[in-house]
Amino acid sequence: MTAKTFRGGAHPPEQKDRSSGLAVERLRDVKQVVIPVNQHFGAPLQPLVKVGDYVKRGQKIADADGRMTVPVHASLAGIVKKIEPRTQSNNLDGPCIIIEAKQPEPVDGVVESTDDFMPPLDPFVCSKEEALARIRAAGIVGMGGAGFPTHVKLAPSKPISYVIANGAECEPYLTIDERTMIERPEDVVEGVAITMKIVNAPEGIIAVEENKMHAIPLLEKAIASSPRTRAGMKIRVQLLKTKYPQGGEKMLITAITGKEVPSGGLPMDVGCVVQNIGTLCAMVEAFRDGKPLIERGLTITGGACTKPANVIAPIGTPVADIIAAGLTAVDDEALRRIIYGGPMMGVAVPNYAIPVQKNTSGVLFMNEEEAVHYEEETCIRCGRCMRACPIRISPALLAVSVETGDYKEAEKIGLLDCIECGSCSFVCPAHRHLVQKFRVGKQILRTIKQKEAQNAR
Amino acid sequence: MPAKGMLLSSSPHSFTQISTPRMMLSVIIALIPASVYGVYLYGFQALALILVTVLSAVASEYLFRKLIKAKTTIGDFSAIVTGLLLALILPPKTPLWMGAMGAFFAIVVAKEFFGGLGANPFNPALTGRAFLLMSFPAAITTWTMPHGLALADATSTATPLALVRQGAALTDVAKYFGASDVGSLYRQLFMGYRSGSLGESSILLVLIGGLFLLALGVIQWIVPVSVIGSAFLFSWLLGMDPIFNILTGGVVFGAFFMATDYATRPLTPAGQAVFGIGIGLLTVIIRKFGGFPEGVTYAILIMNLATPYLNKMRVKKYGFVPPVKPAKPSKEAVK
Repeated sequence: MTAKTFRGGAHPPEQKDRSSGLAVERLRDVKQVVIPVNQHFGAPLQPLVKVGDYVKRGQKIADADGRMTVPVHASLAGIVKKIEPRTQSNNLDGPCIIIEAKQPEPVDGVVESTDDFMPPLDPFVCSKEEALARIRAAGIVGMGGAGFPTHVKLAPSKPISYVIANGAECEPYLTIDERTMIERPEDVVEGVAITMKIVNAPEGIIAVEENKMHAIPLLEKAIASSPRTRAGMKIRVQLLKTKYPQGGEKMLITAITGKEVPSGGLPMDVGCVVQNIGTLCAMVEAFRDGKPLIERGLTITGGACTKPANVIAPIGTPVADIIAAGLTAVDDEALRRIIYGGPMMGVAVPNYAIPVQKNTSGVLFMNEEEAVHYEEETCIRCGRCMRACPIRISPALLAVSVETGDYKEAEKIGLLDCIECGSCSFVCPAHRHLVQKFRVGKQILRTIKQKEAQNAR
Repeated sequence: MPAKGMLLSSSPHSFTQISTPRMMLSVIIALIPASVYGVYLYGFQALALILVTVLSAVASEYLFRKLIKAKTTIGDFSAIVTGLLLALILPPKTPLWMGAMGAFFAIVVAKEFFGGLGANPFNPALTGRAFLLMSFPAAITTWTMPHGLALADATSTATPLALVRQGAALTDVAKYFGASDVGSLYRQLFMGYRSGSLGESSILLVLIGGLFLLALGVIQWIVPVSVIGSAFLFSWLLGMDPIFNILTGGVVFGAFFMATDYATRPLTPAGQAVFGIGIGLLTVIIRKFGGFPEGVTYAILIMNLATPYLNKMRVKKYGFVPPVKPAKPSKEAVK
């Protein structure tokens, strides 16, 4: 099998060795969870519980009307202690529901179940609408980082040819998708099959980077023995070159199909739906067990992490509690930077009391050596960013437009197309803060465009 | 909890090991073979010229930045590159004070006046050479035979290109340099046994340096290939000897080390191709019809002027959708 890839990109040090061989461990007996009310890309939610309420594990605790909303569920049974703003993994304060674990008193010697799950649902029998309603009810969002509502993604308005399982895991350090593909290949395959059924796609592809070659035989075995493929569904594994950002939705689609997602468009415009590995497994659980998205796998690693681990933790678990439970450990003296997510697109945060969220794929504890930060030097116009940019928006030239406030030119070059992968900033020998400028520039340009639209009216 | 404050910054949090000084250093390394060979051919004076231009370039940058109270930038090694490049494109017996002056001009006037590294519109080393050529035309066109090739008088000689310009046939040029025929003249030029600028005698060694930079990814192939290719093609079209033309007058050196200068070449691939083709064409036109036998210096400087415009030849962005043009109202509709 030849490895496919896209044009451009970069090769940040992989750093996956620390945790790639470690089996996923489940965190048990969590005392307290801090569940952010808003964990999806879309309109904000309202809490459905109040302080003092007893909630079961899996009970819906926040929701709202509207298509771009996804409910949030209690990840453990207990008492709602507080509803207050706390720092979330994006380093912003947002409303959080704090639940303290509590076992209910036995009634007549019988302890009622503390789980409040939905009844199982067969996605291959139920209607598409029922299936999408289940996905929303289970609180499933894209778990790769953006938190896009999955029920919206799986209701495309265009025909779909490919369902792509994103097993690229191109962010350095992170190994949770790799471990999931190794330990639960059947669930990954089943998740692809469910997605194919919902969007009515003829082909499913599990895309894996070359540095995770050892997962491929396991996936192929799971595909061969899956009842879905035996019933005629077409699912295969596709090898990809190890290169950042291979796991970016657009890069993945281009590598596999050769097509480019049109500027301003969506994957469905080229007949593709891309799903994160964790999301696929969450979908399987939502149908098979009726279990909402109340826990997720994540990698905890880094140079200051003395006990790297791949962990499944309830959503809302403060990372400090995973450390306290002994599943992982950190050298506080050596610790210089904490990142929620990967090193290329993750967010640096001030402490590790911040909870695990639906889109937290990893937590990195970086030491002095890793936590480098450079002052910007002058651009020497070497053009390395131009070759690294996977969407070819000429970062060196775009930076000039953004810096000089020429947003007309910036828009023409493609500022709004920037996927913020950070490849340009990574390769820059002068350590220019390129993607950082573009992030700010995008906000400014959007505001300008909004104002223009208002004035036009 | 963390012992002290955590480093907070916007992603990415991982960076390449390649830095500006490291890239400049690899250019210096790539120039070592040609420099060492130049010193071997022309002796102590060549070494002295290299040292003087490099020192003058570094000192000029340091003092100028001091004067304008700006951050010292000599640590990026770019002044060393400029000084070294200037020495390598001057006649080996250039008076040292002229070399020093050329380096000063290259750094202060051509680079720092425009804002320093990355902001200069013209290639500094070539600007330095052009300045010397205009100020001291006699000295900068006085060439020396390498040691051991004492066919002409020992102090001054003509370059192969100058001979052709004076109307000599290639067979005569071959004879002048002690080669038996044109074929062995080509070989001699390639290996580097002829008169010329300090560092561009041996095409072989220049190529080795250039390929080294290509292999490291410090430079890309589009500019050198288009410069040499178009010089070859247009020489042939204008009835000149294409092989002779690219082996002489610093075409190869210019293609790999001057035209690829980051600040002064276009950033986009299409722009680079047009830039390179323009240099090749202008070089040949200057040689055929102009007043200078070599032409590369001015060809590159002229094309440097076009760089900001050539940068508009951008690559189509990912997923480019051509804008829908509003349909022009037909004449009937206007009526």
